[in-house]
Amino acid sequence: MTSQITTGASAVAGAPRSRRLGELVFVGVIVVFAGVALVMTGFIREPVGSSNVLGARVVPYAVTGLMLLASVAAFVAVLRGDVGAPDEGEDVDTEARTSWKTVGLLALAFASLMIVIPIAGWPAAVVVLFAGASLALGASSWWKALLLGLGLGVLTQLLFGNLLGLSLPPFGTILPGLVEGTGVLGG
Amino acid sequence: MDSLQLLMDGFATALQPQYLLFAFVGVLLGTAVGVLPGIGPAMTVALLLPLTYTLDVTSAIIMFAGIYYGGMYGGSTTSILLNTPGESASIVTALEGNKMARMGRATSALATSAIGSFIAGTIATALLTLFAPFIADFAVTLGPADYFALMIVAFLTVGALLGASPIRGIVSLSIGLFLGLIGTDTLTGQARFTFSIPNLGDGIDVVIVAVGLFAVGEALYVGSRLRSGALPIIPVSGSWRSWMKKSDWKRSWKPWLRGTAIGFPIGAIPAGGADVATFLSYATEKKLAKDPYRKQFGKGAIEGVAGPEAANNAAAAGVLVPLLTLGLPTTATAAIIISAFQTYGIRPGPLLFDSQPALVWALIASLYIGNVVLIILNLPLVGIWAKVLQIPRPYLYAGILVFAGLGAYAANFTIFDIGVLLLLGVIGFFMRRHGYPVSPMVVGAILGPMAEEQLRKAMAISQGDALYLVHSPISIVIYSAMVLIIVLGIWLKHRQARFEAALSDIDTATIRTVDEEIAQQLRKQ
Repeated sequence: MTSQITTGASAVAGAPRSRRLGELVFVGVIVVFAGVALVMTGFIREPVGSSNVLGARVVPYAVTGLMLLASVAAFVAVLRGDVGAPDEGEDVDTEARTSWKTVGLLALAFASLMIVIPIAGWPAAVVVLFAGASLALGASSWWKALLLGLGLGVLTQLLFGNLLGLSLPPFGTILPGLVEGTGVLGG
Repeated sequence: MDSLQLLMDGFATALQPQYLLFAFVGVLLGTAVGVLPGIGPAMTVALLLPLTYTLDVTSAIIMFAGIYYGGMYGGSTTSILLNTPGESASIVTALEGNKMARMGRATSALATSAIGSFIAGTIATALLTLFAPFIADFAVTLGPADYFALMIVAFLTVGALLGASPIRGIVSLSIGLFLGLIGTDTLTGQARFTFSIPNLGDGIDVVIVAVGLFAVGEALYVGSRLRSGALPIIPVSGSWRSWMKKSDWKRSWKPWLRGTAIGFPIGAIPAGGADVATFLSYATEKKLAKDPYRKQFGKGAIEGVAGPEAANNAAAAGVLVPLLTLGLPTTATAAIIISAFQTYGIRPGPLLFDSQPALVWALIASLYIGNVVLIILNLPLVGIWAKVLQIPRPYLYAGILVFAGLGAYAANFTIFDIGVLLLLGVIGFFMRRHGYPVSPMVVGAILGPMAEEQLRKAMAISQGDALYLVHSPISIVIYSAMVLIIVLGIWLKHRQARFEAALSDIDTATIRTVDEEIAQQLRKQ
């Protein structure tokens, strides 16, 4: 059992290079974004004859300027070899290779909320998110993931929707149609 | 005297059965969620926020106080019981606490941390009760230029001191400030950076920023390199009444008090938050330890748990001083608290003590109550918390995502917010991956608009004369203090980093040998 646990003693060879490249891309995106935002600031409308001494553009100029300066400085720092140390955590294996597949699947599972909530309501959306995310993270059995998701969905719906009065949609647009359909058949 | 009367009124409110129930539920949930690995206090508070959305203001605030203290405490249980090899150095409690646990003294470590938290929390809350009204009275006299100075201090200290690298902190802060700008400008009514999306007209809710960065970002990051194989959890055994031996009490009480003395001021002035406070307390205890115990540091010394844990809780109460009296958040958790208060329709700041004294004092009273509930719950329930640690990770992080989605959706009931949340989560993922602290971003998002408001007020008063910003003696004092705090803070950070780099992993046999040696020495005396 202990053999499965990695200790943070030795670093994987070649990792620093890819880390450096990754951070350069990340900071590079921020630099570009800050530049665009700085230009966009000039297009914020200043109402003519406004009584304000400090208009709507001044602080945005300062903020986007700071963002540009700071990100350029960080970019230079990375180029000079000051690469950021990744966050540590109880469940993080700092030596493991990044599993981009897991990240993508998790993001996808989360994005599914945007489609499933309006169509099928909150509990169904929880089932999709929970089952999708836990399977992406390596849950051993799919039926357990589905059951737990269903339980969590119904529980949150009852607790937050019914007891606390948050307006979570219980069914969405498609499910009521189906329920009504069976209702007509039954009636 | 006057504030004592008000405090008594506060207790009269907070002790009513239904409010007591909310405090109880708040502490219970706060601890349960805070115990979960990978969930810090800020994420606990952000994730549990939807629970309070539909409650009346007093209930919401009282429950929130419980969640805050519970979340603060929950983390220490995790670091003591979870045997994470060589990586928990950032959490000082784990240094000694985890080693004590490994030699079978988990219960003593948990007990000294629980009792220390209680004592520190109570003393610090008393100090808050004592100082807050005075500071609020003083704060009423501050002008917009002084407020702006205070906010600049908060920006720079938070940006430069939270996290290991100042430049990365400032990048994070600037992104947060930018997020704060998105929306309709309150003074001119002009849309800023809304990209012509109607949903962005009201700006991005800070709760969504916090949940996105902390919960979604963390889930994605952990998912990207999830530790394979189970982490050994140290079993907790024995009756909780016999947890602290006589010598444990003797060794603990001074560190508790010293930790409180260190934690409260560091929490109250924005100098890096609880992280710095716990480290300073640890360093102090190590330096002050007398001979037989001295060599036990690094191998399970109880002083090294008692002091930092007390400092941690005292800092948590200290953070509330600028928060309640000035409306100034100095940590990510405080930023979420402010935005929660705003959703309840309360604006923290000097006027709060005058306009809604009943509410403020009920909140302060519930902090005392929360502390008592915390110690009542934690000693007997620790076995349950240890079980919480065993939740299989795939289900744990899937559950975190569900509650993150709930929190984002419940803020405005639009799926647009879920999209924003996901985008922020992806940003949070890359920030974690490349060592950018996320807390400055959350603080920037809430404090940015407030600072802009004060700046424009000041400029309107002075008719555009920028020198007005430094014209008052108070603002000059504040700017000078800022330089001092930053220099001091960066020096402390360096010491902390050097110290953590020098840590080595120690095997259980050594820990046990040292413990036995000390016991023998004591018997001889």
